[in-house]
Amino acid sequence: MSCVVGIDLGSTTTKAVILDGRREVLGRGITNSRSNYDLAAAVAKTEAFINARFGLIERQLEARDGTGAVGRLRRAFVMEQLLHQLRHLEQLMVAEVERSAPAALQAPFRAALEEICRRITAEEEARFRQPQVLRSDFFRDAAGSAFMRIAEQLADPAGVSFDRLIGVYDKCIIRVENQPLALDFRDHIGSALGRLDNPPALAEAVEHAVAEDLTPAATVGTGYGRARLPFPKEQIRSEILCHGLGAHAMFPATRTVLDIGGQDTKAIQVDAEGIVTSFQMNDRCAAGCGRYLGYIADEMNLGLHELGPLAEQSKRTVKINSTCTVFAGAELRERLSLGEKREDILAGLHRAIVIRAMSLLARSGGVSDEFTFTGGVAKNQAAVKAIRDLVRENYGARTLNISPDSIYTGALGAALFAGRMAA
Amino acid sequence: MTHVSTGIDVGSGAVKVAVVGTNGEADGTILSQVSLRIRRREIAKVVDEAFDAAVAGAGVREIHYIATTGEGAEFPHATGHFYGMTTHARGALYLAPASRAVLDVGALHTRAVAMDARGRVMDYKMTSQCASGSGQFLENIARYLGVSHDEIGALSQQAARPEKVSSICAVLAETDVINMVSRGITTADILRGVHESMADRMVRLLRSLEFDGAVFVSGGLASDEGLLAALRDALAKKVGGGAPPAVVTHGSAIFAGAIGAALWGAFRYRRLGRGGVAWRSERN
Repeated sequence: MSCVVGIDLGSTTTKAVILDGRREVLGRGITNSRSNYDLAAAVAKTEAFINARFGLIERQLEARDGTGAVGRLRRAFVMEQLLHQLRHLEQLMVAEVERSAPAALQAPFRAALEEICRRITAEEEARFRQPQVLRSDFFRDAAGSAFMRIAEQLADPAGVSFDRLIGVYDKCIIRVENQPLALDFRDHIGSALGRLDNPPALAEAVEHAVAEDLTPAATVGTGYGRARLPFPKEQIRSEILCHGLGAHAMFPATRTVLDIGGQDTKAIQVDAEGIVTSFQMNDRCAAGCGRYLGYIADEMNLGLHELGPLAEQSKRTVKINSTCTVFAGAELRERLSLGEKREDILAGLHRAIVIRAMSLLARSGGVSDEFTFTGGVAKNQAAVKAIRDLVRENYGARTLNISPDSIYTGALGAALFAGRMAA
Repeated sequence: MTHVSTGIDVGSGAVKVAVVGTNGEADGTILSQVSLRIRRREIAKVVDEAFDAAVAGAGVREIHYIATTGEGAEFPHATGHFYGMTTHARGALYLAPASRAVLDVGALHTRAVAMDARGRVMDYKMTSQCASGSGQFLENIARYLGVSHDEIGALSQQAARPEKVSSICAVLAETDVINMVSRGITTADILRGVHESMADRMVRLLRSLEFDGAVFVSGGLASDEGLLAALRDALAKKVGGGAPPAVVTHGSAIFAGAIGAALWGAFRYRRLGRGGVAWRSERN
């Protein structure tokens, strides 16, 4: 099957999108970005191809699969990938202990690490048998939180302390992430099938999916790290062009795109074909970017996903005077100590980040109908509400589009450019 | 010793308290000084803790005047509040009598104050509302590099080819630092580069003031030898004609504001002549 690939190497996550010959999405993949850019791109691409092959299995079984077997196979596959990385992490950690831990601690240290990894494995296998609960599938997040929790239980303050356990984990997780591992479809689909006792219909569909030749006819890269992607120059497009085209593909009537990502914010105007006519970008200051909310969450010892729901409880939005993220963090502490409510301050902080985005929009040419909002912040309902209100106040009624796949907008645009090259 | 006064300097990164004993019109003696980092704690609690530690360290039973300065959260026993400019000027003169300007480098703000020989503020300038190039900025970068606070100065001075990091955001700096590291730039060169861009901002502040004498560096970053070296180099480069002003500091420079507040407090106490006690130990 002919296909094309787009890769968006962002500062926080790296995304890949595969399109088939009819320019329909065949697969999507995402991973956390890391200092080895090439590897981040390769992992996102592998994930997208895995996703594409599962799509092929689904298509083949569509009529016959009333039991959700493909979904279970997917989960088994993800688990096999995780366990493979965990075994690798364990080896690295044991080697690190042998190299650097004091002699007296060698044996208990190794035993503690082996026990932690054994328990994580057992937890994962038990999880697989339970109904699915949503969580991050990035190895760093899934294994990291389990490791912390179990390490805390097993730690011995007088011997192999929590700090020591976390220390060796921190060192080795970075190495695991920056080494190419065998995580492809072929590497684990066999053992995943085994977990389901090899049902014949599914096994046959898997065989077809494995046999399908998915060699991309063209690949285009974009994003913050695009200059470092291992592609020739003509296979690289700016993030602005890709976001514009990607948003147009998702919502063809789009004329204005706002993308609030982790470390930059883009306001883009596109024409009826999805071609960029003007844009403004802020990548020099964290105020107005997703990182602003991340910093505030850290300051408040909250998870990023908790901020929006808290802010939505506010009845009285506090006006935040600071522009700078660090200053806003100080203002937040000051206001808390003056007795202002957490949710009111948070509502003010959400409004502040959106006001920064509004000025970027204004400079790029305003907000035309339809208006598409993308990036990680588009998942935050408090930010979406603030955008909706401010757009209505400043520009009147506008249709606001937010796609659940908005994080893939840039990669989708890149894949569409790749499609034009292949045509 | 006739009077005991205390200065409480609340900054954005730390709370500093100095207890000073004065005898008549003469300058006082520092009886104790305590600095506590705030680190996301409630400011009022940190102030209480620092005050208690400073009083215990001074071994006094009565304090006649308690002066707050800086972003001074309300302290229940406080007798008065003084502006940061005046307290830093007074504290700098106490620690280094030849100084005629103060450069206060704190966690979030940098400000320059010009003063006369009596500690009267003649003029002042502050940096804009952005944490780029602030103490917090340097601290973030050092953390991303895995360098502890007291190693920064020595490392910076080993730099061979400083890497300029002008105008990068204190929060986005993490990514920039990762980029620099992946380009093979050494820790020393990155730190010196940060020091140089901070020094450039400081020189711009100082050049907008008129003063004749030494520059006293106060605040939490006064102990950073690397920053002082970069500042001296930048002053030597930028000020055309005539010798650049000397850059001086003192082991207690981080307490300049607190000491200044205590001294102004003692001065006001004598002037008012009303007597009284601001705080008395509850223990017998």
